[in-house]
Amino acid sequence: MKRVEKEDAPPSADEQCQLIQAVATARDRSAFAELFTHFAPRVKSFLMRSGLTDTIAEEVTQETMLAMWRKASYFDPSRAGLSTWIFTIARNQRIDRLRRGRVQTTNSLFDPSDEQDAPLSGEDITIAAEREQQVRTALGTLSDEQATIVRLSYFSEKPHAEIARELGIPLGTVKSRIRLALNRLRSLLDGDL
Amino acid sequence: MTIHHHPSDETLLRHAAGTLSAGLALVVAVHIEGCAACRARSARFEAVGGELLEDMPQARLAPDALGRALEQLDLGSSASSARPTNVPRQAALGIKLPQAMRQCEIGPWRWLGPGFKWSKVEIAGSPQAKVMLLKGRAGLRLPAHGHTDMEFMQILFGSLSDERGQYLPGDLDEAGSDVDHQPIVGTESDCVCLAALEGDTRLHGFLGRLLRPLVGF
Ligand SMILES: [Zn+2]
Repeated sequence: MKRVEKEDAPPSADEQCQLIQAVATARDRSAFAELFTHFAPRVKSFLMRSGLTDTIAEEVTQETMLAMWRKASYFDPSRAGLSTWIFTIARNQRIDRLRRGRVQTTNSLFDPSDEQDAPLSGEDITIAAEREQQVRTALGTLSDEQATIVRLSYFSEKPHAEIARELGIPLGTVKSRIRLALNRLRSLLDGDL
Repeated sequence: MTIHHHPSDETLLRHAAGTLSAGLALVVAVHIEGCAACRARSARFEAVGGELLEDMPQARLAPDALGRALEQLDLGSSASSARPTNVPRQAALGIKLPQAMRQCEIGPWRWLGPGFKWSKVEIAGSPQAKVMLLKGRAGLRLPAHGHTDMEFMQILFGSLSDERGQYLPGDLDEAGSDVDHQPIVGTESDCVCLAALEGDTRLHGFLGRLLRPLVGF
């Protein structure tokens, strides 16, 4: 596996798939390093935006990347793109960390990211690449205000009232922007527009 | 199985984003397990998350972050395979539980009222989550009530109906503060559902009032 040293040329979705497959089948450490270089700083940003401190975010990023190494053979490119798969691992590691943090006395061995997905049914089979492309297009057409709200919904557990205070807008406006953004995403994702 | 009542898009988004509380997330996971439409929808919301991740600015990592990760690679794989599997205690309730609940501790049926039983569900690592299985006898009329917090209810067996419609196995009801209703259990059989209440602080609402004196939540 060739090594891409250029910082400003992130691996394309195809290259990402090749890298994770090299990790899965050949336990290729340089492919892991490349994926780490691309994803770890982004995962840490995501974790910090969802409220973890720098130190905890750093640790959970490590755990996410190690989980990526361990579970690489479970990655199925027909189900999701690599960034989506890593997003779900980071999300689950974060949940797990919050749960462990809250109950120090409980010996929590449960790692939600160990859960296997339900088997695919006929209705599930949308080509993942096509889906990711649709999503990219859908996000690109949101207004700045709608995109802000979508981001806040992903990265914050804050209730709407608190989001409204932070943005300095009425609660009703937050709720209607969320509804509009979701409607817009839904129609774009459903291919109605 | 035709499913008529689904979680809202906002709920599916928050579930995909990992920002739902543990109890509500469990009920949604059970729904998604049985609902291909919501599974597909949820995959799309996860793809939105993947896209947002790809667009994230790059946070500064500790200088030795990659080196430490590389050192851990071999340790990590052996440690995880050696990790013991958690076997939760689950009382035999006479129903087949969804896969999404296999890591939960499940208590025995306990009396809650005439023809009405409940069982405490505990989520690993989230003992404060207010989740329970409820079982009502065929034809049982529950008292009319409103809601203060969000309550999610997923029908596992039998049916319920109220002013808004009928709820069959696989259906999920999201009841918020705008819902006032009087559910009635279908006459064909007992009804079993999984219910979760939002909020960590106090128990409000109908289920809360019923459960408060009985439950050590
Ligand atoms: Zn559904």
